[in-house]
Amino acid sequence: MDNLNNSLNPTVNEEINHLSSIDSNPKHESTSPFTEPEFQEKSDSRFKIENPKLSIQSLKAWFSGKLALKDINLEVKEKQITALIGPSGCGKTTLLRCINRMHDLTPNATADGRVILDDLNIYDKQSDPVLIRRRMGMVFQKPNPFPTMSIFDNVAAGLKLNGVKDKKLIKEIVYDSLQGAALWNEVKNDLDKPGISLSGGQQQRLCIARALAMQPEILLMDEPTSALDPIASSKIEELMTELKKHLTVIIVTHNMQQAARVSDYTAFMYLGELIEFGPTDQIFKNPKKELTERYISGKFG
Amino acid sequence: MGLTKVSSIVLDMAILAESTVTKAVTSYNDDDNSAKKQIFESSAKLRFLQDEVSELTIELIARFQPVATDLRFIKSCMELAYGFSRFGRYAYDIIMVLEILGPLEHCDKLPVMRMSKLVMEMMALGVAALRTRDNSNLGRIYEMEEMVDVLFRKNLRESSQLIRSNNYSDNRCNISTALILKYLERISDHACYIADSVKYIETGMASPRR
Ligand SMILES: Nc1ncnc2c1ncn2[C@@H]1O[C@H](COP(=O)(O)OP(=O)(O)OP(=O)(O)O)[C@@H](O)[C@H]1O
Ligand SMILES: [Mg+2]
Repeated sequence: MDNLNNSLNPTVNEEINHLSSIDSNPKHESTSPFTEPEFQEKSDSRFKIENPKLSIQSLKAWFSGKLALKDINLEVKEKQITALIGPSGCGKTTLLRCINRMHDLTPNATADGRVILDDLNIYDKQSDPVLIRRRMGMVFQKPNPFPTMSIFDNVAAGLKLNGVKDKKLIKEIVYDSLQGAALWNEVKNDLDKPGISLSGGQQQRLCIARALAMQPEILLMDEPTSALDPIASSKIEELMTELKKHLTVIIVTHNMQQAARVSDYTAFMYLGELIEFGPTDQIFKNPKKELTERYISGKFG
Repeated sequence: MGLTKVSSIVLDMAILAESTVTKAVTSYNDDDNSAKKQIFESSAKLRFLQDEVSELTIELIARFQPVATDLRFIKSCMELAYGFSRFGRYAYDIIMVLEILGPLEHCDKLPVMRMSKLVMEMMALGVAALRTRDNSNLGRIYEMEEMVDVLFRKNLRESSQLIRSNNYSDNRCNISTALILKYLERISDHACYIADSVKYIETGMASPRR
């Protein structure tokens, strides 16, 4: 560089400094991106969803007086997949269980706040927990088919329990649900076999079929693939994208890539708090909170 | 660990790319093409390193599925490596002009030297920003790129006038100047892409297309 500068005609430096006036063509205003505010502020303003299917407002939950969820505010978009991520014990399962009022079933567990499903506050005194649970299916980490029941009866159980007696209707719904859960082709000739005779991945899809039979509006899935191999997992993932055509899915997962692959929105929780919520793409490419960045990059603690 | 390795290759490339362009411009100014072989080798090495960065980054993605800053860093490294390999290529193009059209000792070298001064500074600023991950000087690079464009157009207009009035002493000067200015103008564009990449790593924001 230095020897180059020395070899330059001394007028060059001066000329360069007055270059803008050299160009005889009219020159439009500077297009430099740096004329705008340099870098967008990493803002604290919460990401909000318009017309959410589910709106969680100031939700707190306790176990025997110990606070497990601290003032959660979160909206869930209809017919989209929302992933809940966060380290073990941060409150993901508790949040799912608050959403369908299963939290109430735990002894000494209490909750406070509002969870609005369409326009119904499910924590209203008048709201019936049983009706609410019927509108939301749940799938658990470990596949849990009813052990003594056949494949068919596993799916039909909820309907029968709810007083549906029309055999033809039950059959129709069971077949539809098995198809909806992408299990039909594998079990259509074995509907009388016990549910627990299926493989783990099939059992999980059976549980999904069982949930679908109740025609829920929301499907809550708590680590639905953590006990499954990659092929069975990817079947469930494919199924989820299929299911979201008709219903809203909330999935808890410890698998970051799974959250990144399947979900449209991601919520990151830590120690009972919602740290960051946003479109999945943004959370994984450019999280706003350092805590989120560290968690999803596996640089925690 | 893989990221550190990629990062160190990219920084090595930055230094080599910068010095290769400097050498080509100096050779032109001194009318001395003895560095041709060395510039050719540097350019080939930059190509090779670009491939290596590309392989390594793909492997990191496959093995670690990086996200957030790590992911943006990897994307930027791919682009930076490409940019630096282009620097090598244009340096080689410059020395080839000297080889084919030279000697050029009777030519007016001011237009090229004037523009090269800007372009060198842009490269230096870009490389420094990359090394320190400091965005504060990137605006200067974008400003200088506009100046380079102005210079380029001004020179073309002047050349075209000379050709029209048919009083240019030696067309080899005219052609060599035009070619090298074009290579420098390309380098200045790539210096902006380097700035874009540094900015992207830090902010996650893509720069508007120029
Ligand atoms: N039945 C319970 N009785 C008492 N405390 C509980 C109960 N269930 C959960 N907790 C506590 O509430 C907090 C949140 O637990 P939760 O099961 O919701 O976490 P999680 O995010 O689902 O964790 P994991 O990823 O391990 O499933 C934890 O501190 C846990 O110890
Ligand atoms: Mg849990």
